Amino acid sequence: MNQANTTVVAFRNFFQEVGQLTSFLVKFFKQVFVPPYEFDEFAKQSFIVGYKSLPLVGITGFIMGLVLTIQLRPTLVDFGAESWLPAMVALSIIREIGPVITALICAGKVGSGIGAEIASMKVTEQIDAMEVSGINPFKYIVVTRIVATTLMIPLLVIFSDFIALMGSFLAVNIKSDVSITLFITQVFDSLDFMDVIPSLIKALFFGFFIGLIGCYKGYTSSNGTEGVGASANSAVVVASLLVFIIDMIAAQITSLFT
Amino acid sequence: MKKETGNKMRLGIFISVGLIILIAGIYLIGSKQQLFSNTFRISGIFKDINGLQIGNNVRLSGINVGVIGNIEIIADTAVRVDMVIEEKVRKFIKKDSQANIGSDGLMGSKMLTIIPGTSGKKVIQDGDFIETTAPVSIDNILLNLEIASINAIDITDDLSAIMLNIRSGKGAIGKIFMDSTFAKTVDDAMVNVKEGAGGFKQNMDAASHNFLLRGFLKKKEREKKKAMGNRQ
Repeated sequence: MNQANTTVVAFRNFFQEVGQLTSFLVKFFKQVFVPPYEFDEFAKQSFIVGYKSLPLVGITGFIMGLVLTIQLRPTLVDFGAESWLPAMVALSIIREIGPVITALICAGKVGSGIGAEIASMKVTEQIDAMEVSGINPFKYIVVTRIVATTLMIPLLVIFSDFIALMGSFLAVNIKSDVSITLFITQVFDSLDFMDVIPSLIKALFFGFFIGLIGCYKGYTSSNGTEGVGASANSAVVVASLLVFIIDMIAAQITSLFT
Repeated sequence: MKKETGNKMRLGIFISVGLIILIAGIYLIGSKQQLFSNTFRISGIFKDINGLQIGNNVRLSGINVGVIGNIEIIADTAVRVDMVIEEKVRKFIKKDSQANIGSDGLMGSKMLTIIPGTSGKKVIQDGDFIETTAPVSIDNILLNLEIASINAIDITDDLSAIMLNIRSGKGAIGKIFMDSTFAKTVDDAMVNVKEGAGGFKQNMDAASHNFLLRGFLKKKEREKKKAMGNRQ
C-alpha cells in the first residue's frame, strides 16, 4: 500500500514537473520575440557560455580526436584500410562525438552554473527585487541565458570539431606520414552537407535545452540555500539526460533523410 | 566599463573565428560538390545504373572532375544520369567519349568514369548526351559464376560416373585398369609377340645368307655407305 502510494506520488511529481516546464517554455516563447531586448545581458551571457567554455571544450575535443584516432587505427590496419582513418574519424567527430561531448561538457559547466546562479538569486530574493524595480526578471535572466546557450553551443561545437580534427591529424602523424593537405582532402571528401547541417541543428537543440533546464531548475528552486545545490545538481542531471534523448531522436530523423 | 568592452571584443573574436571555420568548412564541402566552380552538364542514358547515387564522383583519367547531378528513370529500360562537370576539363571530353559505371575499389562507392574519346573529334557541348557502356554488375558476375558452378557440378558428375565405370571395370579403360584376365591376355599376347619377333629375326637372318637375296642386300649396303660419305 505504502509502495503504491510512493509510485503514485512519483508519477504525480513527474507530470507536475513536465507541466511546469511546458508552461515555462511557453512563457519563454511569448517573451523572446517581444521588445525590449536585453542585448547587453545577452552579450555577457554569450561571453560566459561561449568564450569561457572554449578552453575546456577545446582540450576535450583535442583529446577526443587524438584518442579516437589512436583507438580506431589497429582495427583499420587489420582490414588494410588505414587510409580511411581521417575519413572515419572526421565522420564520427562531426556527426556524433563533437556535438555530444560539447553538449555534455556544457551541461556540466554551463547548466550547473545557470541553475545555481538563478537559484541563489531566487533564494536571496533578487528576482523579486527586480520585479519591484520594474525590470522583467524573466526576460532579463531567463530569455538572455537560453538564447545565449542556444547560439553559443553550436559555435562551440564548430570549434570542438575543428580542434578534434587537429588532434586526429596529430595522431595520424604519430604512426604514419600524412600531409595536412592530404588529411584535409580526405576529411572533406568523406563529408557531406547531410553530415554537417543535422549536427549543427542538433547542437542548437542541445544548447536550447541546456539553457532551458538550467533556468527552469534555478527559477523554480525552493528550500533556501539547500535548494541552490539541488537545483544545480538536477539541472546537470536532467540536461545531460536530455542531450542523449535529443541525440537519439536526431539520429532517427537524420537517418530518414539519408 | 573597460573590462566589459574587452569582453565584448573577445566575444566578437570568438564568434567571428567560429563563423570563419564554419564558412571554410562549408566552402570545402561545397567545392567538392562543384557548388562554387564553373560547371557544365552532360547526360547519359543507362539501362541499369547499378546503385549509382546523386553526388557520386565522375572521373576522367582517374581524376575527380565532377559529380552526379541528377538521376531520373525515363523509361522501363532507360535511366538518365546527369553529370555536373568542371568547365576546365571540357576540352578533354570529345563527342565520342564514353561513360561507364564502376566502383571505387572493392568496397568503395559507385562512380562514373568518362573515357575521353578520340582527339580529332569535336568537344562536347553543355547538355549533350554521352555514349554509355553497360556496367559490369556484381549481379552479372554472380550469375555467370552460378552458371559456371552448375557446369562444374555437371562435369564432376560425369567424371564421377566415368570413374565409377573404370572402377567397376566397364568400358575399354576400365578393362585396362581393372580386369585381371584382360591383363593376363595382354601379357600372353606380349609373350606371343616376343616369340613371334624372335622367330621372324631368325627367318630374316637365314634369308640374308640366302644367295637369292645376297646381291640385293650388298647393293643396299653400298648405297648406304655412299650416302654417309657424301654427308661427311
